[in-house]
Amino acid sequence: MKPFNDIVTEQLGIPKEKISDALTPADVPEWDSMNYLLFIGELEKQYNISFSMDEILGAASLGAVRALVASKGISV
Amino acid sequence: MNHGASSAVERTFSELAVGDTASSTHTITETTVDAFVTITGDRNPLHTDDAYAKTTHHEKKVVHGMLVASLLSELVGMQLPGKFSLILSQETRFKKPVFLGDTLTVTGTITQKSDATRTVTLALAITRSSDTVVSGTVVVLVEDTHI
Repeated sequence: MKPFNDIVTEQLGIPKEKISDALTPADVPEWDSMNYLLFIGELEKQYNISFSMDEILGAASLGAVRALVASKGISV
Repeated sequence: MNHGASSAVERTFSELAVGDTASSTHTITETTVDAFVTITGDRNPLHTDDAYAKTTHHEKKVVHGMLVASLLSELVGMQLPGKFSLILSQETRFKKPVFLGDTLTVTGTITQKSDATRTVTLALAITRSSDTVVSGTVVVLVEDTHI
């Protein structure tokens, strides 16, 4: 299973040393709406989970996305 | 080049399912390549100069890989998902060269559907007879409603 932070780096272009749960779209130029869709889609594919639209729209930070994944029973 | 349907299929996100597939057939001609060269400006002699191409191990002109990959645009935009498509990303692997006169079949199959993002992922295969010349994946946003 691919580590959460690896997916973050691949999809959002955030270097591993700069990954922090406090990051928001305002902090990351690559974190635009299109990349966010690809990021969420990759998480669903890699961990074989599904989100609702409300869940992903409500996740305002990287930590919130990580918590969302964890809420599906995935250890990240 | 041959083209498929004259108007785009109007399948909504809810009408799409994993396993759905579509395909189309195209023959690559000198006219196709000339049009691609005009659009892109890629006049690399491997693609445009018979005399040069004969000196390479291919022994004849090779069709631009990106021209071949571009065939997925018709498949996605016109057939699967069709009218409401917006391509978000694509990955392609060029496995074998394509030559003038080759007839190619482009096939896309939905392998993943995300309700949260309203995207579908398609596995792409472009084949010449039994040979796969290009393979890849494409992620498509289905914009049948405003999100």
